[in-house]
Amino acid sequence: MLKTKILIVDDELIMRESLGGWLERDGHEIKKASGGEEALEIMKKTRFDVLLVDIKMEGMSGLELLKIVKERDPDVDVVMITAFGSISTSIEAMKNGAFDYLLKPFDPNELGVLIEKIVENKAQALENLYLREQHKEITRFESMIGQSKAIRTIFEMIQDIAPMESTVLLTGETGTGKGLAAKAIHTHSARNQGPFMSINCGAIPEHLMESELFGYQKGAFTDAKENKKGRLELAHGGTLFLDEIGEIGMRMQIDLLRVLEDRVFYRVGGTQPIQSDFRVIAATNRNIDEAIKNGSFREDLFYRLNVISLEIPPLRERKDDVPLLAEQFLFRFTQETNKAIEKIHRDTIDEMMMYEWPGNVRELENAIERAVVVCKGQIIMPEDLPIFKHKTTPGPGIGSLKDMEKNHILNILAENDWNIALCARILQIDRSTLYKKIKAYDLKKED
Amino acid sequence: MTQHDNLKILITPIGSIPGHQLEAIAAAVKDHFTIKTAIENSLQDIEFAFDTERSQYHSTSILEALQELVPDNTLKVIALVEVDLFIPILTHVYGEAQLGGKACIVSTHRLKENLKSVSIEPDLTQRLIKEAFHELGHTFGLLHCKDPTCIMHYCRSIRDVDRKSKNFCRYCDIMLQDALKKELKT
Ligand SMILES: [Zn+2]
Ligand SMILES: [Zn+2]
Repeated sequence: MLKTKILIVDDELIMRESLGGWLERDGHEIKKASGGEEALEIMKKTRFDVLLVDIKMEGMSGLELLKIVKERDPDVDVVMITAFGSISTSIEAMKNGAFDYLLKPFDPNELGVLIEKIVENKAQALENLYLREQHKEITRFESMIGQSKAIRTIFEMIQDIAPMESTVLLTGETGTGKGLAAKAIHTHSARNQGPFMSINCGAIPEHLMESELFGYQKGAFTDAKENKKGRLELAHGGTLFLDEIGEIGMRMQIDLLRVLEDRVFYRVGGTQPIQSDFRVIAATNRNIDEAIKNGSFREDLFYRLNVISLEIPPLRERKDDVPLLAEQFLFRFTQETNKAIEKIHRDTIDEMMMYEWPGNVRELENAIERAVVVCKGQIIMPEDLPIFKHKTTPGPGIGSLKDMEKNHILNILAENDWNIALCARILQIDRSTLYKKIKAYDLKKED
Repeated sequence: MTQHDNLKILITPIGSIPGHQLEAIAAAVKDHFTIKTAIENSLQDIEFAFDTERSQYHSTSILEALQELVPDNTLKVIALVEVDLFIPILTHVYGEAQLGGKACIVSTHRLKENLKSVSIEPDLTQRLIKEAFHELGHTFGLLHCKDPTCIMHYCRSIRDVDRKSKNFCRYCDIMLQDALKKELKT
C-alpha cells in the first residue's frame, strides 16, 4: 500500500522512539536506525521516501550519510535533525541536497507541515507516473489457450462459474492470466452484452482511486469541471474486474464493502444515490490470509469477494501448454513484425520445457517477442531466447549472496527484455528498488 | 451479565482538574464509546517524569507508569493533567496515547490558550473532550485522519481543535467499532 516510508536515523534511543511514535500516529511506516551504517544496511532491503537524520552521531555523521544516500538515490528526501548551535552544518547539508532541516526539539506543527509537504510531492509524482503508465497498460495475450489438464480444468470451472451471478476471487501468480480468466467468465456469462470494466488497484494512487471508481460531481474538487461517471457506474449491466485487490487501502476497503453490501454508492461530491448492476470479479497475487491476520485487509470484505474462488495455475504446472502458447505468440509477432519466421526449433522447445517460467505466460510472451526480433533465420533457435543466454555456469566470485542476487537480477532482466515493470513484479520488489540495484551492480543491457 | 459489562474506561485526574470537567468527559466518553466510565484517582505523583532542564513533564513515562497501575477490568485509562507535556523530540504535546495500547493522557495546559477569561470554562471542557476522544481513538489503534472535521484529524492549533467536530468520520467510526468488537471479545 502507498504509505510513506520513513527511516529515522539517530544514535539516541529516546529521540528515535519519540519521533517514531509520533509519526506512526500519522499513519506512516517507520523504521529506525541507530547510526549511519545501520541505516545503509536497512536501505539495502527497503526503499524509503524520507530519511530523518540526526546531524551529530557517533561514527558516521549525518552529513556523511546524507552524501552517500543522495549519491545512491537522489529521489529520497532527507531531513536533517540538528541541535542548537549546529546551524552552519545544517546549511552545508542543504547544499548537499537535504530537503530541509529541523532544530530539535521541534515544534510539532513544523514537523507536521514538513512531512505533509513531502507526502504531497510524493503523491504528485505517483499520480504523474500513473497517468503516464496508464496508456501503456495493455494486455497482450487476448485469450486463454491451452490443452493441459490443469488449464482444461480451469476452462471447465469458468464454464460452471460464468452463468452464476456470484462474486469471484481469482488467485494466482503474476503473469498467469487472471485478467484473461476474468474476461472469459464475463464472456460466458449472461452479462456478455454488457461492459467489462477493469481497474488495476495496484497501479492507481489511492487518492485517484475514489474518483476513478465512484466518479465525481462537477465542483467536487478544483479539477472537477464536469460530472464524471466512475467505473462502477460504467460497469452497469456488465462485469467489474478489480485487479490486484490486495493493494487497496483501508478507506477504499470500507467503501467497497459498502458498495458490495448495498449496491448503492455516491459520486464524489454527489448526494444522489446511484444504483449500478454489476458483477464483481477480483484478483490478487498476494497472500490475503496473511494481510487479514496483520490487519491490513478487512476480513468482511474478503468474505464478500471470496464467494467463489478460482486459482489460476502457474505456467510451470501446465508446461504441456508451452509449445502451443509459444506457437500462438510466434504467429502473432511474426504478423506484427512482418518477419518470415516459420517455426520454433525442437531444441528451443526442449529448452523452454525445462525452464520454470517465474513470470509465467507473460514472461513466455515477452521471450517470444524478443526472439522474433533477434532471430536471423527462419527458425527460432535456443540462443534467440533471452532466458538461455545467461544460464552460464557460475564463474569465479560466485558464492556470496550478493553475487547470487546480482546474477539472478541480471537473468530476470535478460529473460524479460529489460522490461523493468515486469521484472520488478517477478522479483517482488518495487521498480525504484530494481533501478537502484541495476545501478548498484552496474548491470547493462546486452545487445 | 456478559463479561465485558464490567469493563470500563477509567478517567483519572492528576492534579486539580475540576469535578464538572471530569464528569462532562466521563459522560461524553460513555456516550461515544458505549462503554462504562469511572472517575478514579490512580497515579498521583508524576515528579519522576519532570525534566528540570525543560520544566515540562515527559508524557511517555507517565503513560508507562499509568499502564502498570490500572486494574484488570480497565479497558483504557485516560489521565488528565494540568502540567505541560513533552516528548523528547518535540517542544510540547497536547497529549499522548499508546497506539493500540491501554493508556493515554491529555494536558489542559495549552488548551487554555486564547481563551477569553470570561468564557474559559465551557470552551475548555469541549476542547478537553475532543482531545480525550482523539487520544482514546489512538488507544483503539486509530491513526490520524485526513478529514479535517474528524476527531482523529491532527490539529495544528487550538483554532483547528475548536473547528473540528466531536465525531469520528465514517471511516474512523467503522474502524473504531471493529476495534471495540475485537477488544471486548478477548
Ligand atoms: Zn493524534
Ligand atoms: Zn476520520
